[in-house]
Amino acid sequence: MVKEECKVLLDALNKVAACYRHMVLTIGGTADSQNLREELRKTRQKAQELAVANRNKLTGVLKDKTVSKEDKAEFERLWVIFSTCMEILEVDMRRALELGHEFPLNVPKKHLIQTGMSGGTSGVAARAMSVQNMKYEAEHNIDVVDLKDLEKEINQMGEMMYEMEMKVNVPHWTVEAKQDPGAELKSTVSMGASSMGMISVEENKSFCDISKVLAGVIFSAVLIIAIVLAVCVVKLS
Amino acid sequence: MTIKQLDQGQHYRPRMAVLKKIEGLLMEMQNPDAGIKTHTQRVMITNIPHAVAGGDILQWIIQHLQITEEEALHLGTMIVKFGYIYPLQEPKNLTLKTDNNLYRFQTPYFWPAQKWPADDTDYAIYLAKKNIKRKGDLEEYEKEHYNLLNKKINYKWDFIIMQAKEQYKAGKERKKADRYALDCQERAYWFVHQTPPGMQDALEYGLNRVTDPNENKVNQKKTFDVYRREIMYYRQALMRSTVKSSVSLGGLVKYAQQLLTNDPLLAGCLPSNPWVTDDPAFWELNAKLVEIPTKMRVERWAINFSELIRDPKGRQNFQLFLKKEFSGENLSFWEACEDLKYGDQSKVKEKAEEIYKLFLAPGARRWINIDGTTMGITVKGLKHPHRYVLDAAQTHIYMLMKKDSYGRYLKSPTYKEMLDKAIVPQQTVRKSSNFSFTRRQLRSSPSPVILRQLEEEAKAREAATAMDITQLCQFTAPVPHLAVYTGTCAPPSPSNPSPSCLIPTNLPLQSPGHVALPNSAVCPSPISVALESAPGLEMKWETSGSNSSHFPSITESTEISTDSESGPCNSQVPGHVDTKVPPKSRMSLSFSRLLKRGCLNSPVFATLSPKCPAVPHGKVQPLDDLEQQLQQTSKRVTNFFQIKTDVPLESRIYPIDSEEEEEDCHRVSKDSAKEVICPWETLTEEGKAG
Repeated sequence: MVKEECKVLLDALNKVAACYRHMVLTIGGTADSQNLREELRKTRQKAQELAVANRNKLTGVLKDKTVSKEDKAEFERLWVIFSTCMEILEVDMRRALELGHEFPLNVPKKHLIQTGMSGGTSGVAARAMSVQNMKYEAEHNIDVVDLKDLEKEINQMGEMMYEMEMKVNVPHWTVEAKQDPGAELKSTVSMGASSMGMISVEENKSFCDISKVLAGVIFSAVLIIAIVLAVCVVKLS
Repeated sequence: MTIKQLDQGQHYRPRMAVLKKIEGLLMEMQNPDAGIKTHTQRVMITNIPHAVAGGDILQWIIQHLQITEEEALHLGTMIVKFGYIYPLQEPKNLTLKTDNNLYRFQTPYFWPAQKWPADDTDYAIYLAKKNIKRKGDLEEYEKEHYNLLNKKINYKWDFIIMQAKEQYKAGKERKKADRYALDCQERAYWFVHQTPPGMQDALEYGLNRVTDPNENKVNQKKTFDVYRREIMYYRQALMRSTVKSSVSLGGLVKYAQQLLTNDPLLAGCLPSNPWVTDDPAFWELNAKLVEIPTKMRVERWAINFSELIRDPKGRQNFQLFLKKEFSGENLSFWEACEDLKYGDQSKVKEKAEEIYKLFLAPGARRWINIDGTTMGITVKGLKHPHRYVLDAAQTHIYMLMKKDSYGRYLKSPTYKEMLDKAIVPQQTVRKSSNFSFTRRQLRSSPSPVILRQLEEEAKAREAATAMDITQLCQFTAPVPHLAVYTGTCAPPSPSNPSPSCLIPTNLPLQSPGHVALPNSAVCPSPISVALESAPGLEMKWETSGSNSSHFPSITESTEISTDSESGPCNSQVPGHVDTKVPPKSRMSLSFSRLLKRGCLNSPVFATLSPKCPAVPHGKVQPLDDLEQQLQQTSKRVTNFFQIKTDVPLESRIYPIDSEEEEEDCHRVSKDSAKEVICPWETLTEEGKAG
């Protein structure tokens, strides 16, 4: 179904955007490296591809007059999500450009900021590229070389967004969010368990909740065993 | 597409240059050799590197920048407040603590920059992420913001939720320690950019201007004229004399010391401070032109000349004194210059001409005594009159009065009399608070319109009395031959009453011929010599016309103001009143009636001026003859000179002139013929009376 495809594409773009944001956060810090720059480049390119794909799909659907009203509304919603995603991507790209200029990697005099990050972002990149492991094959001055490409891509992005705006006439304010405020909480019940790993002091509450549940389970189990034993004893005696 | 952020990159609003400087400093701090030592922060079981102690930061700043500890502390706190360094143990307390409190450097993405203001969408994503992490446990203000944003950017909300989830998941791909550090970073960022209530917003820089306030200047096409003006301006700026600050400060101190006792707030005032006791007696006693001023005020005039001159009552008194000394024109000239400077600028040209004719022209009625160079400068400047064109002359006269007359004034009986007359008001006893509850009778002060009228009347009266004395002084002033220059007018008729100064102008209302002539006879002709341009000449004509049209209008106004409320002519009064207005008389009533029909006669008389010889005194002809003569000559003259007028009064007059003049003349002659015959007789009468 067209809708499903659109959604899938959009989710992919969303994911890539999130990963890109994570990576841009790391520029200039101690976790910065040539690898990071390469990851950024690759992620960016992926994002662009996805963006184009999304755009084509969505514009195709929106231009289609045979679509029903609810479908149309749905597609408009998807369109709004798409354009917002693009905006975020563009902003992040611009910032990446600026930070890239400020923090060139091979200059010995320019020190990276000690931000407390020590690990790399390969995991994030792998997630973005949807691969298991990242391969790094770029030259060692990619940080400088990439910036020109980045500029070009930013311009391209800007043009694309402008075109989109001109061609497709979807007023953003008419779209209503499907999800209520706080919707993210409901879908994160499963995430609760995995967040046990968080070390921060304020996260103690998560510990307590889980341990409480566990304790309750154990207690009830013990109680049941005790009752069973008692019944057996009664029966035998 | 949402409306993108307008490019606010450091253009038109107060720039925070400090940010870039701090960034430089921060980079230096990272130096492994010369930077700050880092420790490891231990949180539960993980170690997170790159924590710095507050004390270390402080020491480093002191050493690196060579500043005092106090200043370094202030700088350090500023760095923390801006969000470049964030505290680890007390995240909300953005100050630099010099003990072992740990801090960490913020990642460059989260550095504050005016180019990248904190975005609503980002904040919403952050809140959503926090919601996920903490399962809905947000702080109060965060919850509020969340709800607000939900309403505000509702159409983006799906995206926000999606993005929040994705970012959360992506974060999982990182090391535990990194995740923790990331959280701290983001939290610190939002503490700075979206300050919780009660915290100071360090990034507040005032108004966010989207448009360039200097746009006109910046986008101005640099033409030749623009550059020429700039050069002129800078040249003048260079020429400006400056005063040493020690001198000016000394002056200020001296001023403050001297006038301390006069300050109603610092030294109390008599009878009482109206704001405190609700008694406006103080204001009434110190009104601008009050009959009997307070002693304090009069004593103040003796401090220095500027005090005297800035007080209207002082000026009045001083004028009285000057009249006795026959130098009243000095002060009148000074006042006229002030009016030119600060008055209605649309009338600058006319006013300047008036003043010239009245005070500066050779043979002027109230000729002031200034030296040749100043006169030359002034006359030259009058070609292009502006508000400061008479500055040189005004300064000269001011200094003259200050150095010469002022000293004598202080010893004069005029001043002493005023001093004796001055009252010292009794201090009012503060009424008991019983009355504060009763409905107080509130009297509103008189309307400014009415006040102004009264002032003008008073001025007119003063100016009228001034006529007596000033006229006499004209005998001493040189009176050149006036009839010569233009040479185009009809030959002067011997019966024409004299122009100029010598005719007492307090009475000539009855004889309209006399009325205008003194004014206009101040010789437009020398002016025509002085100003080469023909437009100037025409202007002279029109101003002389307007002059005399003002003149009757002034009488009109004095009439009107006494009879009824303000007339439209009042506006024209200021500059000319003291010099031309005759006193009220029975005669004037009839004339004013005539004038109310339309100030017809004035232009007629105006045209007469160039041909009027300086005849010492006028043998007054019966008015009807005069009128007819005037009519004829006026017609001739008007034809020649093609007078362009922009004064509405005049423009009204000329077309109507021909028709109505005839009738009015008769009326005039009838009216005035009844009442007055000889001006000089009435002069002596006045003289006896005065």
